[in-house]
Amino acid sequence: MLTFFLVALIILLALYGTPLFAIISSIALMAFYFADIDVTVVIIELYRLASQPVLLAIPLFTFAGYLLAESNSPTRLINVAKALFGWLPGGLSIVALLTCAVFTALTGASGVTIIALGGLLYPILIKEKYPEKFSLGLLTTSGSLGLLFPPSLPIIVYGMISEVSIDKLFLAGLLPGTLLIVMLSIYSVFKVRGQKIETTPFNFRKALRAIREAAWELPLPIIILGGIYAGFFTPTEAAAITAFYVLVVEVVIYRDIKIKTDLPRVMRDSMVLVGGILVILGAALGMANYMIDAEIPMKILGFMQQFITSKVMFLIALNIFLLIVGALMDIFSAILVVVPLIIPIAESYGVNSIHLGIIFLTNLEIGYSTPPVGINLFISSFRFEKPVVKLYSASVPFLIILLIALIIITYVPELSLWFVE
Amino acid sequence: MVKLIQAVDKSLALVENYMIVAIVTVMVLMAFLQVFLRNFFDTGLLWGDIFLRHLVLWVGFIGASLATRDEKHINIDALSRLAPEKSVPYIRFLVESFTIVVCIVLAKAAWNFVAYEMEDNSILFNVGETAMPAWIFQLIIPVGFGLIAFRFFLKILGRIFGVPQPEKTSPETK
Repeated sequence: MLTFFLVALIILLALYGTPLFAIISSIALMAFYFADIDVTVVIIELYRLASQPVLLAIPLFTFAGYLLAESNSPTRLINVAKALFGWLPGGLSIVALLTCAVFTALTGASGVTIIALGGLLYPILIKEKYPEKFSLGLLTTSGSLGLLFPPSLPIIVYGMISEVSIDKLFLAGLLPGTLLIVMLSIYSVFKVRGQKIETTPFNFRKALRAIREAAWELPLPIIILGGIYAGFFTPTEAAAITAFYVLVVEVVIYRDIKIKTDLPRVMRDSMVLVGGILVILGAALGMANYMIDAEIPMKILGFMQQFITSKVMFLIALNIFLLIVGALMDIFSAILVVVPLIIPIAESYGVNSIHLGIIFLTNLEIGYSTPPVGINLFISSFRFEKPVVKLYSASVPFLIILLIALIIITYVPELSLWFVE
Repeated sequence: MVKLIQAVDKSLALVENYMIVAIVTVMVLMAFLQVFLRNFFDTGLLWGDIFLRHLVLWVGFIGASLATRDEKHINIDALSRLAPEKSVPYIRFLVESFTIVVCIVLAKAAWNFVAYEMEDNSILFNVGETAMPAWIFQLIIPVGFGLIAFRFFLKILGRIFGVPQPEKTSPETK
């Protein structure tokens, strides 16, 4: 009776906006207290963070991402993509998809992409006579595109909590991430064919100029990806190089970021996000420890096995469950709360934990834009000053494409495991 | 009273901002230096990596304190949008009081943890001949949770005495 009351109270507090780190910590504290274990365990688990080498990658990548978002690199990036793909019919939508994907991979948070890039791309799309609804749907769903590409922060957090090698996850995300972009590109080009849309003819000199302007930023993905895949450095070392490189490029070379005014603000804002993630990460480790001790995943598994008998059925249930989680929860808390529960269950159904990671992140990526409460919809509504209901209907066609891609990613594990094996 | 709350809040934020700028600067430069030394000279500071990871704890907790100030903690705020306007201040009072209690319990547990480490004289790393005690670096855990609790307390006081609050925008936006 007491347990029931406490659970109901905590759920209610969570739904009324209590910070998730407090919710998760309170569950862990109470669980250990009732099990007669010293609650200091919660802190010992939190402190385990300090022994994980990849911890350092979180603030470094976040800082680099915020620096890029605050500089003029979104504009330069769009110019390059436009010069290269603008001549294609529907090319501008491909430009939007590509730049959003790269940007989300680098900044790790979908909100930043819609605010920084969406704001630039939307007027261009409208000016070139793309339909309003199409443009809104495209930019809303692109806001989280790219989460599967390195060095996306959600992949790193997934790796930390699941103890799956982050280099392998980075490799595993490449093909599925590309699939999402290709399918959305094909749909976009197909959708706007026959409409009177202006294309910019390809101009070699213009292209060269755009590339030259972004010459310092374009090598960045190559440095990160090449360096990690070729085995020159670990993800954490890649983060150190990226942060330093971006700092020098944006502050010293382009001078987009003023050292006395902008830089301290960017440092502060990025560390506010890091702080929010870190306290949840610490709390989640404490709770995960309790759940594993109490064999909670095994109990859920025992219950599930009565209804779910095959791997395929498990995957279907998993997809539905994760889409709901993705729409309701922020991606980091979703990973931190759900992954420790799911991993042992998925393993017993024979799902590879790297593949699971990719399924997980794809679901959450789609959940971001799923009505009625996906966060991208609210950010877009705020950014483009359109009613949320309008964004619901605008994103539906894109969501259907993404769901088809999700099915392919889920039931063709080779797509995720091709590069890994 | 309003002025006092604002003054405390502002001076705390100022110190926190300076600390963040200092730590991030050290972190970015030193992390790069480590990679540089390791790859080109096959060397590096032995204590560098562990020191850097503890800096992450520091910058993270200070960031979390500022997240409290900016109301940017990650949450699932599904119901308060539907709640009647009048009930919102009461709901927030409950939510924030609950968070304060949790933070105080966490701070206390963290303090016990740090006290054990102090008794054990645990050494985190050696810089040359000097041994760095672990508790100095771990101190941020109880202090951090204490700061978050204090900031929520300031929020509650601020709302009672009518201190202007940051406008609540949708999450992840500026």
